[in-house]
Amino acid sequence: MLVKALTAVITVAAGIGAAFVLYWILNWISEHIPGDWGRRIQPYLFILPALAAIVVYTVYPAVLTVINSFKDNFSRHWIGLANYRALFGSDAFRSTLFNTLLWILIVPAACIIMGLTVAVLADRLGPRGEKTTKTIIFLPMAVSLVGAATVWRFIYDAEPKGSTQIGLLNAIGSIFHKGPVAWLDTSTFRLNSLLLMVILLWAQVGFSMVLLSAAIKSVPTDTIEAARIDGASERQIFARVVVPQIRGTIVTIFITVTITVMKIFDVVYVTTGGAFNTDVLGNQFWTQISTYFNYGAASAIVVIFMIAVIPVMWYQVKHFQTEEAT
Amino acid sequence: MTSTATTEAAASPIPKTRRRRSATHFDANPAKAGWLVKSILIVLCLLWLIPLIGTFITSFRTVDAAANTGWWSVIVHPSTLSSLTLQNYKTALGGSTDMGAAFVNSLAITLPATFIPLLIASWAAYAFTFLQFRGRNFLFLFIVSMLVVPNYVAFIPILKLYKNLGINGTFPAAWLFHIGFGLSLAIYILRNYMSTLPKTVIESAKMDGASNYQTFYRLVLPMSVPAIAAFAIFQFLWVWNDLLVALVFIGPGANQPVTVALTQLKGQLGQGWELTTAGGFITLILPVVVFLVLQRYFVRGLTSGAVKG
Amino acid sequence: MRSQARRVTLLGAALLVGAGLTVTACSSGGGGGGSGSTTVTIWSSVDPPVKAGLEKQLVAELGAQKSNIKINWQTVTNINQLIITKIQAGNTPDIAYIPQPGVVAQMVNLGAAKPLNSVVDMSSLQQNMVPGMLQAGTINGKLYGLLGSANVKGLVWYNKPAWTAAGWQTPTSIPALTTLMSQMKAKGSATAPWCLGVNSTGSPGWPATDWFETLMMRDYGPTVYNDWIAHKVKFVSPQVENVASQFSQIAFTPGNVYGGRTAIPTNGFDTAGNGLFTTPTPKCWMYMQGSFITGFFPASVQKSLDTSVGVFYFPPATEGGQKPVEGGGDMITMLNDTPNVETVVKLLAQPQIGNDAAPTSSFISPFKNFNASLYPNNTTRSVASIMYSADDFLFDASDAMPAQVGAGSFWSQMVAWIGNQVSINQALANIDQSWPATSS
Repeated sequence: MLVKALTAVITVAAGIGAAFVLYWILNWISEHIPGDWGRRIQPYLFILPALAAIVVYTVYPAVLTVINSFKDNFSRHWIGLANYRALFGSDAFRSTLFNTLLWILIVPAACIIMGLTVAVLADRLGPRGEKTTKTIIFLPMAVSLVGAATVWRFIYDAEPKGSTQIGLLNAIGSIFHKGPVAWLDTSTFRLNSLLLMVILLWAQVGFSMVLLSAAIKSVPTDTIEAARIDGASERQIFARVVVPQIRGTIVTIFITVTITVMKIFDVVYVTTGGAFNTDVLGNQFWTQISTYFNYGAASAIVVIFMIAVIPVMWYQVKHFQTEEAT
Repeated sequence: MTSTATTEAAASPIPKTRRRRSATHFDANPAKAGWLVKSILIVLCLLWLIPLIGTFITSFRTVDAAANTGWWSVIVHPSTLSSLTLQNYKTALGGSTDMGAAFVNSLAITLPATFIPLLIASWAAYAFTFLQFRGRNFLFLFIVSMLVVPNYVAFIPILKLYKNLGINGTFPAAWLFHIGFGLSLAIYILRNYMSTLPKTVIESAKMDGASNYQTFYRLVLPMSVPAIAAFAIFQFLWVWNDLLVALVFIGPGANQPVTVALTQLKGQLGQGWELTTAGGFITLILPVVVFLVLQRYFVRGLTSGAVKG
Repeated sequence: MRSQARRVTLLGAALLVGAGLTVTACSSGGGGGGSGSTTVTIWSSVDPPVKAGLEKQLVAELGAQKSNIKINWQTVTNINQLIITKIQAGNTPDIAYIPQPGVVAQMVNLGAAKPLNSVVDMSSLQQNMVPGMLQAGTINGKLYGLLGSANVKGLVWYNKPAWTAAGWQTPTSIPALTTLMSQMKAKGSATAPWCLGVNSTGSPGWPATDWFETLMMRDYGPTVYNDWIAHKVKFVSPQVENVASQFSQIAFTPGNVYGGRTAIPTNGFDTAGNGLFTTPTPKCWMYMQGSFITGFFPASVQKSLDTSVGVFYFPPATEGGQKPVEGGGDMITMLNDTPNVETVVKLLAQPQIGNDAAPTSSFISPFKNFNASLYPNNTTRSVASIMYSADDFLFDASDAMPAQVGAGSFWSQMVAWIGNQVSINQALANIDQSWPATSS
């Protein structure tokens, strides 16, 4: 065990050291190239490692995926648009698309609103109260999503009528003599999908809260003081002084959460497995790969997903360009 | 305030008293955090905690008790307190899987996978924010667009790549993967934050003859601490709780992290699910500690007063 | 600034990095495939006590042979998915225990599984295994998957003390079962004839497929059953429709199932059986599930299994009719054909390999000539003998069909039908429609 721990320490130090050394080398290179060239290629050297890693880990697989979406299940023969036709022709897939859309519409907005609320309200407390509140809201993030499924089982569980209920919601219901409701199986008005969204929000609001909190705290206090001196109320200060200055962060979080939600599969996978009309794109991808071993169809799903993300990206580009202009 | 003074002020560690004062600056009158705000927060926190409390209690119950009665019965009927047991934890920690080694492995995987992307991303974010070069905007947008690629898409291509390099099953296999996928988000967040830093400070430093290297290390990096701390937490969590990447690139065996080790507690059909409640809490402790430690870097006022001068 | 000292530091740092990486490579190498040629890696997803028992016996036998082969046996979750991923990446273990024939077929398709015909003693296997066990792992005439451990399905469990007190007799045909059910309902509505639950976290619906398979093989026999797996008998067919109507008579008639039809999709397969043991009045008299369900019964029941629990074979269609048994298990597949691996496979293919696992876990040996006295209790012994005395061993159909159906539409359509969201005809048609066009 000691050898293991020692080895681990050495490998960790070596890994981190290697990164530092890399940049040191890059900087040394750029400073030793004669004349103007050194200064001009320096920015490119700074971003080189990042770009290289991203190309290898995201661009290369993405390109491969697009190619594989036109091939068969083990990517051995070309089959043209067959995968796409099969997907769009299936009811189940259309329902999956609809679900995913629902998730995208609801979760990112809810995440930001809740994160902002907590960040602002907690900000008003003293340092200890603020720290406690933030830790509590953040706590679910430390639980892996697989763990979260186990956790929420004790809220949503449904036992047959007449048995003791072990899920909190149904237990409360039984106090009022309302029959047990199979929450995660009820797809009327997509109730079960909404309940799954609650789980994701519970686990993710910590993310937006932390970032928004950092952003709020970085708003220069002079601007706030100035507004206060001018006699603005707290609500006005928040809306007119703070929000505009953190707008960039809000948009960043919105886009990040939207993309995360589009990719989501853990929450659905570990609770309902996509049954009862809860399936989403990410889970469908996973099913195609791990159960049906159909890499062609799975790749097609990813391509559809990536195309669907284009409007989000477009919005992000516009936002970025407006920001750069100011 | 002269430019050099602000440079020094921002670069040197903030003395404790000043930090405390600025932390309450916007929070203004404690009276403003009135009973309404407080009660909303208390209710919210309670609701937030209920699922976790339920699981926590369940982790001390036998599987039969957990399957037959609700977890709140322990609170409502204190007589059942005696039926609580540590057995779940004992089985999860003892048993045939070496949890101690798995814990060390988790650390060995998570620490580099957290630090290295932060380092690489801060450099890149710095370049994108403060340096002018051709293709800057395009490259930035390109990097951010790669956020859309889900990580599971890369499993097989990267596995094949690793096989040629012979690093399957080793720690660097997982590090590189987490680095590759963490970079887009890191660059996005860090750059966004860095663009809110006062450019005048940087410019005056440059005019004073600092190289990019020095500006980065002495000026920009310390000022970006809140964003860096924020991202460090997320990356740590993401890698610590990750199961799939570890399973695919490291696999079960001597190098498996805690997440993989925990899955081996369950039978083929899910027997032993009560162990996941205990296991979940065991793995929860470290991320929470990390969060608490990094919390103190979310201080305000590091840049206050540095703009108007 | 860039002085000699700096250069030395740089060199030193580079050396440290190099050393670290070398240490990493040496100490943590060989995740899959075995670092030395004398190590044989095995992957399985069997329950930890089963794996421990099998491994112990294997290592002991290798030691007795004075062999220098080392065993690296890992428990792997998601083995079905992981093995296919690893095959495509070229990074596989030497031996893998695979629980689904459908996955074995995919492995053969990818050229990863090697035939076992020349490695194991085929004639002795044919003699000592129940007919059908070898066929389950035979593809294109060659044996690729050899059953290494078995479980039995189509078993009906009951609460022994309560059953005997009520005076019920084990039914020996399906009509007799129907009569028994009416007698049970007449006795009182507090205890329903059946407990039934098809929910399972992440994969709801598979218990319902077990019911269909159980009825299918008793009503129509092995040939039709295998044709059904091969899609020669479609889901929209008189046979399957008949089975569906039998099931709906059992499960949907009010008063037959505890909780009624509406509770079936939400009852978990793991907890539904506990209704047999509730005190003072059990919620139900009978529960049909596989042999593994004993691991889910309440702890008090598990401690006194033989006195608390009784089990009988779900009756044949007619008095004295054919008695095929439905089962499952993990099949040994060989991915690297080397002399050391073949030695290990030979040992795993012997009945004795289960000698340590049987008394200490839920292991059931697929061999008829296994020493049954090693089983830990009479319950396991009777389950094993049900299997050994069956006419045919038929692998769980949903594990043998292509995954889109067997682990997809069959499950989900069953859930939808029971939950009254789709008619039976529509459900069967949907399943047929989802059958993959090519079997590649």
